[in-house]
Order: sequence, then C-alpha cells, then structure tokens
Amino acid sequence: MSIAIQASTRTDDGPLLELEGVRTHFQTPRGVVRAVDGVSLTLERGRALGIVGESGSGKTILSRSIMGLLPTRGTIRQGSIRFEGREIGGLSRRAMRDVWGKEMAMIFQDPMTSLNPLMKIGAQIAEPLRIHLDMSRSDAWATAERLMNDVRIPAAGRRLRQYPHELSGGMRQRIMIAIAMACGPTLLLADEPTTALDVTVQAQILDLLGEQRRDRNMSLLLVTHDLGVVAGHTDDIGVMYGGKLVEMAPTAELFANMKMPYTEALLQSIPKLADPSHTRLNVIAGRPPDLVNPPVGCRFSPRCPYAQDRCREEEPPLIPTVEDPRHTYACWYPVGSPAYHETKARRQREAEVAA
Amino acid sequence: MTTALASSTHGAAEVKSARKARHMGWMFGTAWLVVLSFCALFANQLPFIRTYDAKVRVAGQAKQYGFGPGWTAWLGTDNSSHDVFARCIYGARQTLFIGIGATIIGLTVGGLLGVLGGYYRGWVDRAISIIVDCLLAMPALLLALLLIQRTDQIKETITALGWLTRTEEITITLGILAIAPFARIVRAQTLGLRERDFVLAARSLGAKSQRVIWREIMPNLVPAMVTVAVTGLGILIAAEGTLAFLGLGVARPQTWGTMIDAARDDLSKAWWATIFPCLFLFLTVLSFNFIGDHLARKFDIREAAV
Amino acid sequence: MAGTGKAHLRTEGDVLLRVEDLVVEFPVGRTGLKVNAVSGISLDVLRGETLGVVGESGCGKSTTGRAIMQLPRPTSGSVLFEGRQLTDMSGDDMREARTRMQMIFQDPISSLNPRRKVRDIVTEPLAIWKRGNSTEQRAKVDALLEEVGIDPQRAAESQPHQFSGGQCQRISIARSLVLEPTLIICDEPVSALDVSVQAQVLNLLEDLKAKHGLTLIFIAHDLAVVKNISDRVAVMYLGKICEVAPSDDLYRAPAHHYTSVLLDSIPVPDPSVAATKTAIEGEPPSPVLPPPGCRFHTRCPAATDVCRNEEPKLREIATAHFVACHHPLYGDDVPVSVA
Repeated sequence: MSIAIQASTRTDDGPLLELEGVRTHFQTPRGVVRAVDGVSLTLERGRALGIVGESGSGKTILSRSIMGLLPTRGTIRQGSIRFEGREIGGLSRRAMRDVWGKEMAMIFQDPMTSLNPLMKIGAQIAEPLRIHLDMSRSDAWATAERLMNDVRIPAAGRRLRQYPHELSGGMRQRIMIAIAMACGPTLLLADEPTTALDVTVQAQILDLLGEQRRDRNMSLLLVTHDLGVVAGHTDDIGVMYGGKLVEMAPTAELFANMKMPYTEALLQSIPKLADPSHTRLNVIAGRPPDLVNPPVGCRFSPRCPYAQDRCREEEPPLIPTVEDPRHTYACWYPVGSPAYHETKARRQREAEVAA
Repeated sequence: MTTALASSTHGAAEVKSARKARHMGWMFGTAWLVVLSFCALFANQLPFIRTYDAKVRVAGQAKQYGFGPGWTAWLGTDNSSHDVFARCIYGARQTLFIGIGATIIGLTVGGLLGVLGGYYRGWVDRAISIIVDCLLAMPALLLALLLIQRTDQIKETITALGWLTRTEEITITLGILAIAPFARIVRAQTLGLRERDFVLAARSLGAKSQRVIWREIMPNLVPAMVTVAVTGLGILIAAEGTLAFLGLGVARPQTWGTMIDAARDDLSKAWWATIFPCLFLFLTVLSFNFIGDHLARKFDIREAAV
Repeated sequence: MAGTGKAHLRTEGDVLLRVEDLVVEFPVGRTGLKVNAVSGISLDVLRGETLGVVGESGCGKSTTGRAIMQLPRPTSGSVLFEGRQLTDMSGDDMREARTRMQMIFQDPISSLNPRRKVRDIVTEPLAIWKRGNSTEQRAKVDALLEEVGIDPQRAAESQPHQFSGGQCQRISIARSLVLEPTLIICDEPVSALDVSVQAQVLNLLEDLKAKHGLTLIFIAHDLAVVKNISDRVAVMYLGKICEVAPSDDLYRAPAHHYTSVLLDSIPVPDPSVAATKTAIEGEPPSPVLPPPGCRFHTRCPAATDVCRNEEPKLREIATAHFVACHHPLYGDDVPVSVA
C-alpha cells in the first residue's frame, strides 16, 4: 500500500484537502459515540480554515481523523479523506508515517506535554529532518537553528542545547511550530494552539502562524473554541455542532451574514469589550447534545429559540446561500428568513407580556 | 471520484475479547475464593472433607504416601497418611487468617501513617518517612526471620506473652512488613488529594483538619486502599509460604507452606503431596491478583498497579 | 507600571474588605530563592461592589484571592474584613471568619469531592457548623439548588461526575451560598467552561449577587468577562497592581501601557478590527527574580531610565482612576510619545 502512495504523483492543481462524508464513531460501554458524523469540506492550497465549536462538537476528533491519529481499537471510520488528490482516510498508521511531518503536521494545545522532556530542543527539531529528509546530524542541527530563527526565538544557538522545561509556554509553542514546519508540510493542523497561553503570548503565536503560513504557502486548519481567534486569522470558518458542520463561509461573510441560529447565539453569548459593564448576556439554554443519542432532526433544535416542528423531525442539509455559493448552512429557518423574524417578534411580545 | 471507504471496524472485536478475558479472570478468582473460604469455614461439617487428624489407611495400616490422587483420597495422602485434600482445606484457614490479619495490620498502621504524613507534610511527614524508609531498607525476608526468632526468645523470658501462638506471630510479622508499602501508596495518594480544590473548598468552609481527613480525603482513598489490600493479600500469602519453606511455618494446623516444606524432599516419590498445596497457593494468589486488577480498572487507579 | 501605593484605597463608604501591603512568597525548593507571588498590593472592596482582578498567569491574582482567605496565610500585610484583622487571628477564629467569605474555583469538577453525593456536598457547610436540624438543612439546601438550576432530587442521588462542567459550577456556587456569606471570591469561575455555558454562569452570578446582597471579587484572565461583571477593575502584573479604575473607564481609556497591551491582545470576534492590533514582544519575567523598578519595564514600549530604577506609585490621574506608571498613556503628565 505504501508503494502505491509513493507512486502517486503530487499534483499542484485541485484542492489540497477534501473531506467527504467523514464519520468517526467510537464504541464505548455506553454505546456508539458519533463524535464526527458526516463532515464534508474542502481546503484550498495556502488558505487558512478555522473550525469552531464547543467541547464535544467533534472539532478535535475531526482534526485527528484527518491526521489519522485515532485509537485503533473501537473506532469506526467512514467517508473519504483526500489529501493532494489521494485517499488517506483508510491508511494504516504505518503508511501515515510517511505523510506525518513531511506533508502534514500538527501542533497541540499543551506545548509541555507534546515535547519530550528528556531531549534537547535541537534534537527534537532535528529528528523529523533526519527521518524524512535523511539529513546528517550537523545539517539537521544547522537547519534546526534556522527554523528557530524563523519562529523568532532569541539566541537560537544557545536554546538548541536547552531542555523544554527551561523554556516558557510561549517559547515551547514556538518550538512546536518549528518542529511542525521542519520538513515543509503543505498542511498544518493546529488544535487549540493558544488555549494554554496568556493573551499577550496568544497574539504573538497567532501572528507567527499566519506569517509562516504565508511565507511557506502552507494551508492551515485551525481548531478552536474561540470565535475571536478565528476571526482575525483565517480565510474561512466552519462551525461545528454535535459532530456536524452546521455553517461554513469565508470569514468576513460569516460574521456579516450568519445564517445558523447557533452561530449567532454563540457570538452573542461572548461578553464584548464594547458593551458597558453589567450588560446582560444572551445565553443558549440547555446543554450540548449527547452524541450517543443525538436529537432527531436538527441537532440544535432542542436549544434553538426559533425551532419549529420541522426542525425536530427532519435534518436540514448543508445548502449554499443565494448571495454567496461559498457560504453554506444547515438550517430550515435561517437567521433573516421570514419564519425567523416571525418567531423572534412573537418571543419578544411574549417576553413583554411576561414582564 | 467519490469512492467511499470501507468502514474499518477492526479492533472492535478485539476490545470485546480482551474485556471478556479480564472478566473471566475476575469471575474465576471470585469463584475460587468463595468456594475455598466456604470449604475452609465449614470443613468440620462438610461430609466430603476428612478431619484434620483422620488417617487414610491402606489395608488397616497407616502408610507413607499410601494413596496417589484418586477416588479414596482425592489428592492422595501425605507421609503420615493424612488426606492431602483435607489438609489443604485446613491449611486454607491458617493461610487466609494470616494473610487477612497481616493485611489489616499493614493497612491500618500503614494507611494511618500515610494519611498523616501526606496531609500534614512538614516534620510529621519527615518523621514518618524515616520510619517507612528504615522498614523498606531492610531485606524483608531477613527482617521477618529476625522478628519471629526474637519473639520466640521473648516468649521464653516473658511468660505473660505465652498466649501468642506461632500463627499470630507470623501474622504480626507479615503485618509489620506490609506497613511500609501501604504507607507509601497511601501517602502518595493523599499528597495528590490534598492539593485538589475540593479539599481547599472544605477548608474554606471552616472544616477542621480531622474532618477534612475523614470526610474529604478518606472516601477518596478507599478504592485505592481496597485494591492495594487485595493485591497485597496475595503477596502476603505467598510470603507466608516462603517463611514456611524456610522452616518458620506453623506446625499445627499446617499451612500450605508447611505442607510444601514437609513434603518437598519426597517430590520424586509422591509429587502430589508437594504439588497440590503449591497449586492451592498459586490459585489463591492468582485469584487475589485477578480481583485486585479488576478493582483497579473499575476504580481507575493507576498507582495500584505497583 | 506595577507599583506600590495606597492612593486608591477609599476612606468613605462601607468598606467590607481592605487589604494592605499584602505579600506572599513561596520558597523554591531548598535553593534559598523565593517566588515573589504577590509583592505588596493593597485593595479594597465596598459592600455590594464587584471588584475584578485581571492579569496573565503568574501575576499573583489567584494567590491574592487565597491569601485573603488565609489559605495559606500571607507572608506579611494586613487583611481587614468586616472590621476584623484576619492575619493575626487564631485558627478557630479564622475558621469562623471564613464562613463569612467563600470561594468558587476554576475547575468545577475538581472542586467537588468525587465520592460524595451532590446534596451532601452542598449540605457539608451546614453540617460543619451544625446549623439547624436535618430537615431545616435539607430545606435550605434544596431551595438553593433550585435557585442555581439544579434538580434537588437528582442532586440527592448523583455524584459530581454525573453532571456537566457548567452544572458542577452551579453546584459549587450553591455550596458557597449555604452559609450566607457576604463576600465571594470567584477564582476564574468560568475559564474552564464553554462559551455558551459561561454566559449562563455569569448571568447566574449577577442574579445571585443582587438577590443575596453579595460582594464579589472576580479573578480572571479574560478581560471581556471581567469587564462585563465588575464595577471596578484592578490590573495585576508580576505580583503588583498596575492600574485600578471603574470598569468602563479602564476599558475606554487605559492609562497603563500594560493594560493597553492586554486590551489590544484580545482576539475580537470581528474580522474588520482584528487586523489592526500590534502584539507585544516577549513574555513576563520570572517572579523568582522580578526586574527592579517598574516590573513591566522589560516589555514596555515607553520605558525610560526612571522606569528601570524607580518603582512607580499608584496615583490618581482621573476621578477614581489610579495608575502606577511614570509615563501613563494619559493624565496629568505629558505623555511620552511612543515610537
């Protein structure tokens, strides 16, 4: 199987990554958890896609499914994942090893636990270079130093010989980025890369990621729970809820014209600096769905203030908007539709009566 | 091209079979211990178990190793013509008494030291650690031999201690040996627990240390303690066998270790007299390990895998 | 920034809590070095007010919260709560005083004992202080659970792990209210929660505060959250206070360079504004060897020699707006131009 992969030619046309009907389910004592339940999306070369969702929305499992980093036991995988035009969804870990690092790389939330505490920084950056690119030790270390300069680590030469615990959290995340970029991957997956960092450091790391992506013409899949993080650093955004993609659009279009009530509610529930203090926050009632027994129909319907009978019976498909074919959403009564306004007006009247 | 991938469900069957195998081990262990304890407790009442001193005679004569395993004496007879099966059952009484007794001593003393050291830290912890380290620094077997011999001597000089039987001596000795490992594990657990927010929450509610230890920390130690105790029980039973093998066993009623020690020289003549007590010992230790393993998984305790 | 001083402490009004020159140090192993977690801060909270404390990790905000509770006792300084000095109280008096102030923690699951039933956890404070008989205790606990949105029946039967993170935080809040405290110290109470749940808990805190007449100290790293809930905000950096101001003033016109950097660093969920921010270089220095002078000078774009040598004191630059900076962004001084 690995021979076939190496033989397949890299084509520079066509999208870099195409997912079609990707499902990742886990068998647990409670039943089958439908962590990712039919996600299709396309990522073009050099673009940054943000995947936003709350915990349990399946965003992390989606990125791990693409990477092929899933437990082998009790995992059910379906659907197609095409990377550089070839199918990688069914590859074994062994076959994926040629892809990891070299063509796609991943950075994780916690930079401390993803680095080996007993290995020098330099050796950890040099390792993928020696494995994938057959570099000599001295070449690999020289490249490592250059990479550390690229991620703007001061005194790179000295840091090469240090151990992870001697560095701060932000520095460690820079090292992770250097390792991920060592072999020049075309796709970088970042799973909550800044959640463990302080705000001032978060801004630095996000800027660094964007800059490196542009310099190297890399595609980025940025997984996060923070709408603020994706707003400034991605070209497109996909919103996940209950294992499904519920809305996807170019970043500016999404914020200007959100269709899915969940996306709208998510944005409204964030406290904003522009609002005076003690502004009452809009809340989404209820809790995220149980992925063993997801709700029938639209998965957001039990929490959606605009849900009608149809939402609770029939699952809405992901369809493009009239104005922008790149903007897709899965909702029967999207924000701005007559039914939406009607329900909203009725709710307001009810609230006034109650008050 | 939209070729859907074949779903890969491999692994699901494996998970099931592994879970099943573990479950079998646990079931076996429980069944074995239940049957063994039942027989041991009611040995005098059960018709198929001979009394401790009953001799199985060959043509009216007591004969060394008169019977091999068979219908007359299920597991054969020993060098003084006693039924090996019956003696194994009576041995179980002794062995389980010693094992459980030693575990209780080790767990109570060790657990208490561990909790105090782990919770209060500081000089309390240092003092306890020194005691525990001293206990651990001595070779366990040597310590046991010394302790038993010392108590024997003390018993001769201080007649007030005459009531102390050999069985109790061994129990106490093994209990002392168990203190250090139990204290270590409990201390490590306590150290982790005392940093948890719910302990801080209890203190911020005005709870006294004693209450924090009893209400907040202890309930969280129980799973680890039970698991470690069950696994430790197996080890202590094996340790008793070792002591007996070295000649420090209980003469009457015999433990499994004493039985093995008595018959091992005749292994070539009468294998059954050695092998069957060994088998009882082996299965019992294995059962405790299975159960301990099961509990550890159930409570999700990693430290208990020690 | 990052200076000392007590100019911001108020003399009028009903001061519930007054912290002066609070210092907390922890030894680093046996090296003889120490972590300067909190280095002489002063704070006050009026009855019914919500004081927000913001800062990055390691700035000492959580340590401050715990030092107020005397868990552990601070290295030095005074904590005056309801007119009584907590720092030199005996153990038993302190236990009693703690019932008047309560704490809510960041990790909602870890702050509840996993092996006890939820109702027992909430009843525990009453059991410790033997308040009321079991029927009275139960009625009180059930009423509180209802109030925070937890089904008392389910609480009686279930353990914390059977509830979600948001529900556990509600349970925590119920427990903190059982003894009818006047002050609640919330240590990052919504950081571990999802955005949609975070809003629910914040609204709940506001409602409970109004209903029970509570005073809150709200510690968090998220400035937007702190702004939303607080009346007055203190910004901390490396164990010192940089700026204290009414919440809206602070965000509208930050005077400290660090506050301004913090505000600029927040990712705004709006693609049109996101591009304009300038990230600050570097990371906070180690609290083991904090820099002399103003503790922020190593990263400050406006730092001069005076900042490196002399520690700035908190002073008032606008009504109720205090800053510890030699070159504030605005105020009585001529602002130093920032290149």
